[in-house]
Amino acid sequence: MDEKAATERLRSQLSTRFPAGILAVEPFPGTLGRVRFDPALALDLFRELRDVHGFTHLGMVAGIDWVQEREVVYTLWSDERRVYLFLSTLLPADRARIESATAIWPSADWHERETWELVDIQFDHHPDLRHLLLPTGYQFHPLLRSFKLHEPEDLEVKVRNV
Amino acid sequence: MGGLTQTTPSGTVRPTAATVGELPMLTEAQVPFLEIETLRAREFIPASKEALSSMISEQTQDKLVRPVLNWAGRNSLFPLHWGLACCAIEFAAAFGARWDAERFGVVPRSSPRQCDLLIVNGTVTWKVAHKLIALYEQIPEPKWVIAMGNCATGGGPFRTAYSVVPGVDKLVPVDVYIAGCPPRPEALLDGILRLENLIKERRT
Repeated sequence: MDEKAATERLRSQLSTRFPAGILAVEPFPGTLGRVRFDPALALDLFRELRDVHGFTHLGMVAGIDWVQEREVVYTLWSDERRVYLFLSTLLPADRARIESATAIWPSADWHERETWELVDIQFDHHPDLRHLLLPTGYQFHPLLRSFKLHEPEDLEVKVRNV
Repeated sequence: MGGLTQTTPSGTVRPTAATVGELPMLTEAQVPFLEIETLRAREFIPASKEALSSMISEQTQDKLVRPVLNWAGRNSLFPLHWGLACCAIEFAAAFGARWDAERFGVVPRSSPRQCDLLIVNGTVTWKVAHKLIALYEQIPEPKWVIAMGNCATGGGPFRTAYSVVPGVDKLVPVDVYIAGCPPRPEALLDGILRLENLIKERRT
């Protein structure tokens, strides 16, 4: 009951502050809620959540490929309130760009590098958007639905002369 | 990008069979921090062989010199102290008190220049592949490679992954394969002993 009330309170606060752009604030068990927002609102919302609502720690940035669109999910943690919050945006597949959260939470750096290299979401104004886990110059984004793993039978590897 | 990707009739784009030479990845030459001098020991051996053969007869070499060198080599295999994944934990356990690999003369060394054995323990990813090759090249001749565990043998449980090399024998020549996920320390010791038997029969 407490959780739902807190989620409602957050919803009203955010809707007053951002009349347009907050698409939904849904309850999510174990957290303060899940805020779906419009990607244009990104930096303002992040700043508001960090400064006013106390979400000082960004735990994770992840990407999901729904074929026509791509979703970015942020996990925020508040030290003083000891509660998690999920943020979620949908980006169109042909223009998957969003502002980088590194301006607000520096820990977004590596998470956004990983999200870009796996699901091909561009983060604008990211200080250093390059491969993190995959080799430099790897041309594919493996966690997209259109990338298929090899069947063991047709996996043939030719090695160049070293 | 000819040949790099293919489009199936239903429209999915997939890469063609992974070819290290064709994937547009940086080669060692393009990675600036990897400027290593590789010890081309192959140029040295013929010279020393000539020096040796001029003083000692062929027969003495075969019956005396070579067996002594083999005995010395197989009883003092120094592997590179290098672990990639979970098999490295079993490698470490094999050097603990219970299984004690050092009683066979096997002492892990930190620098590849001081080693003669490369034990590849763990999953080899494309990202680490050129570094593995660089380390292998830095080990002076004679050198051997043990592929420890299923991942090093043939990619293991991750064989079809986009980031995994399906077996380290795609990168370096392997002498002994140890199966297991992970192989027990006793299996690693057995693999090392099999390598020692291989070295016992060395003629060159």
